Amino acid sequence: MSLRISTAPHVHSPVTTQRLMLYVLIALLPAAAMGVYAFGFSALLVLGLACVSCVCAEFLWQKIARQPVRVGDLSALVTGLILGLNLPPTAPWWMVVIGSFFAIMIVKQLFGGLGDNFLNPALAARAVLLASWPVHMTHYVTPTFFKAGVDAVATATPLATKGASLMELFLGQIPGTIGEVSKAAILAGLLILLVTGTVRWRIPVILVASVFCWTWVLTGSPDAALMAILSGGVLFGAVFMATDYVTSPITNFAQIVYAFLAGLIIVLIRQYGSYPEGVTYGILLMNIASPLLDRFLPQRIYGYQKEVKKA
Amino acid sequence: MSEKKSLGGVLMNGIVTENPTFRLVLGTCPTLAVTTSALNGLGMGAAATFVLVCSNVAISMLRKFIPDQVRIPAFIVVICTFVTMVQLLMQAFVPALYDSLGMFIPLIVVNCIILARAEAFASKNTPIASAADGLGMGIGFTLALTLMGSIRELIGNGSVFGVNVLGASYEPMLLIVLASGGFLTFGLLLGTFNLIVKKIEQKKTKKEAQAA
Amino acid sequence: MQKKTFRRGIHPLHSAHEGKTSTRNLEIRDYVSDTVIISMAMNIGAPAKPVVKKGDQVLVGQVIGEAQGFMSVPVHASVSGEVLAVEQIPSLGAGPQMAVTIKNDFADNWVELHPLGSVEHVDPAKVIPAIQAAGITGMGGASFPTHVKLTFGNGKTCDTIIVNGAECETHLTADYRLMLENSTRIVDGLRAVMRALNVNNGVIAIEDNKMEAVAAMQKAVQGREGVRVQVMRTKYPQGGEKQLIEAITGRQVPSGGLPIDVHAVVLNVGTCAAIADAVIDGKPLISRITTVTGAVRKPANLRLRIGTITEDIIGECGGYAETPGKIFFGGAMTGMCLPNDQMPIFKSTNGIVVFNEKESKSKDESPCIHCGRCVAACPIGLNPYQIKVAADKSDFEAAKKLHVMDCILCGSCAYMCPSRRWLTPSFKFAKDHIAAEAKAKQAAAKGGEQK
Repeated sequence: MSLRISTAPHVHSPVTTQRLMLYVLIALLPAAAMGVYAFGFSALLVLGLACVSCVCAEFLWQKIARQPVRVGDLSALVTGLILGLNLPPTAPWWMVVIGSFFAIMIVKQLFGGLGDNFLNPALAARAVLLASWPVHMTHYVTPTFFKAGVDAVATATPLATKGASLMELFLGQIPGTIGEVSKAAILAGLLILLVTGTVRWRIPVILVASVFCWTWVLTGSPDAALMAILSGGVLFGAVFMATDYVTSPITNFAQIVYAFLAGLIIVLIRQYGSYPEGVTYGILLMNIASPLLDRFLPQRIYGYQKEVKKA
Repeated sequence: MSEKKSLGGVLMNGIVTENPTFRLVLGTCPTLAVTTSALNGLGMGAAATFVLVCSNVAISMLRKFIPDQVRIPAFIVVICTFVTMVQLLMQAFVPALYDSLGMFIPLIVVNCIILARAEAFASKNTPIASAADGLGMGIGFTLALTLMGSIRELIGNGSVFGVNVLGASYEPMLLIVLASGGFLTFGLLLGTFNLIVKKIEQKKTKKEAQAA
Repeated sequence: MQKKTFRRGIHPLHSAHEGKTSTRNLEIRDYVSDTVIISMAMNIGAPAKPVVKKGDQVLVGQVIGEAQGFMSVPVHASVSGEVLAVEQIPSLGAGPQMAVTIKNDFADNWVELHPLGSVEHVDPAKVIPAIQAAGITGMGGASFPTHVKLTFGNGKTCDTIIVNGAECETHLTADYRLMLENSTRIVDGLRAVMRALNVNNGVIAIEDNKMEAVAAMQKAVQGREGVRVQVMRTKYPQGGEKQLIEAITGRQVPSGGLPIDVHAVVLNVGTCAAIADAVIDGKPLISRITTVTGAVRKPANLRLRIGTITEDIIGECGGYAETPGKIFFGGAMTGMCLPNDQMPIFKSTNGIVVFNEKESKSKDESPCIHCGRCVAACPIGLNPYQIKVAADKSDFEAAKKLHVMDCILCGSCAYMCPSRRWLTPSFKFAKDHIAAEAKAKQAAAKGGEQK
């Protein structure tokens, strides 16, 4: 009889990397569906192209670098979908492909692949595209919702115009990137992430709260603060990008500091910076800081308690 | 540099094995700042090469007379002289290039490649060898800068040396000619160069092992 | 009643991994086999020295191995009959050890016993020597000599004795059945220890997935002085000594310290029952309750003589249901794998689990995605993913700085890891390495002094 010998534990949680990525994909679906519903076929094309080119980029890299091909862990697909949702529906095809290859090959694989990238690949790619082709990246159109006779009208982002009502913002009747239009869909995604235990509440909730509070403090108007969290990419960024495992801190307190500071940076860029939107840079900057936060804000370890309680 | 090398060896050393930009990672400030176009890269490289050769020869000739304690200030004075010459020459003959390089011409004084070669090579070797070293290093630096400038100009502007090569429909990637694009290009080229050198060395050791 | 628990940990274990349903409702059966192989190394500390030779006739309860010093316990014959061999056998992880093989004559002749009588009237000074003579070690798995745990000098005091009935490990139901069927004995054992240490606070801790056991124990403690039952939240590793102490007293055992440093002693329910046997009946520890489950035809809770061979036990349970892929002593979170089924059970063997080939397959490690599940699970509050990086690089200094020595090897992090990284195995390796290094250093320092 040949018995296997291994060190304990002999059982493992059924939650694998692949399953976690699948949960994220499922959570992204409402936002993706609403984006396609709002912007039509062109949005579907952008999303599909981003997914396909991210997966291809990952596969190609792993083949060329003679690494085991791990496309099956779905992480590249998640990156692709998030990147696609971060683009305007009018994005030209070559921009989508360049963004995808940049995200996977340069941001992710060059730094060691899954788990070793210090920036969120999709966000870094978005920042690169925004700096490279600002005209294409800020070419927003009003959602058509497949209504006949309504032409897509190019407009500026509502952050610049401040024209939309809160309800319009919430339901997604505003111009924007594919994923950020419908806040309701993003909240549904957050619910899925929380219920499946994929992410914990701290980062998304505190980030949004931080943006709300700082905007209130700096503008003195609660309406403007509500507007701030419902417009632009704050919700999408807080739920899907700031919570990226690889680039966010792990310990509870570090997560709180991370989300709070990311919110502060976003508000500072929006209020005082030359860009109308600061979510990308706010989160990217805190991505870089997250290993430090983990290092300097560790958990309390058992057995180092100072006082001994009396029975 | 303790072993005696042929002049050709010294020259090649600067261009490939110890390429100042990609192997020694010296003089990164002008490398990142001026390589927004191929011409800028070439101009900067040529100016630095001139200073490198001249200062190497001068310092090598003076090496026996410079007291050890004050050698760095002495080197800097020599280098400054040549930089001032270059600056005035460029202002007179290539005013357009002079304008686009701007501040970075006088900053050649503090370019660490020049001081490093003076300290590491010229102060210990004969003027002829020093000239070869300066020329090799200068060519290596010029090639690296021109390469980076060409790549950044090509991607960021669709042209090389001002000649449009990618056609009118090409939409330039602005990021590459911005500062962050400089870092990106530099990092990627650095990695690629080292990868190639490593591969060559691996092949060499393999061959040697087989021969043995 | 307020349910208590510790911080972090995993809750709940995936239901498929709990594995307790098949034996939960099975009463404890007796099983005595034809031959027993009794190891001399069944406790932490020095192994016992065999005092019988081949051909000797022995009685049940007769000392066959003498304790070697204070940190050691005697070993007793678990059956009567003829000694067939005194030889070395392989052990689990510690190299070959001496063992005595006895052929059972099924006469069950006992040596003369010296009962001390009722635990409420026994002379407190006689309890700990009786425990030592009975060869009792921790029955929950750690096999620490119990008399050592109960002897503490230099001004240390004890104010709480905790009886560990949490049984948080997977698959095991031995303690649960014992609490249901033999509750009075457990309380007797606890009372004996309380009187010996002059402590007036005894807590029996049971997880809330065993409410029947809670009811049985509550009935048993009625009218007994200073003893109460505490319901705990079901969470792994609730039964860890440090976790129990934190949950019940709110105190944390200092790093590198012992429970007695925070005035607590933790005893397993099985240990308590064995103490009661030793005090009331004068019987040494010769049998224990073991859960046999997994890929066997008839899973069971068996009262087994120490030294019963695994193959015989599996035979008693109807044989293998499928081709076995892996057999281990203990639960699936901390169990030790057997090289073959010829291994006899020890005083600490609380379960024998057989995995089929599919369950035994291990997956390759995939890259760490920094999800933080290990950090959220660690009951100690360590950063397993960082320690793993250090351990993989054999950077034991860095691992030490990340407090790898505080790791209790509970396996929570490795269970939770979505990338299936071998966290606990590398921590065990690092801990062993650091401990060996410290020992070598100490030995070198001693040698230097002598010179």
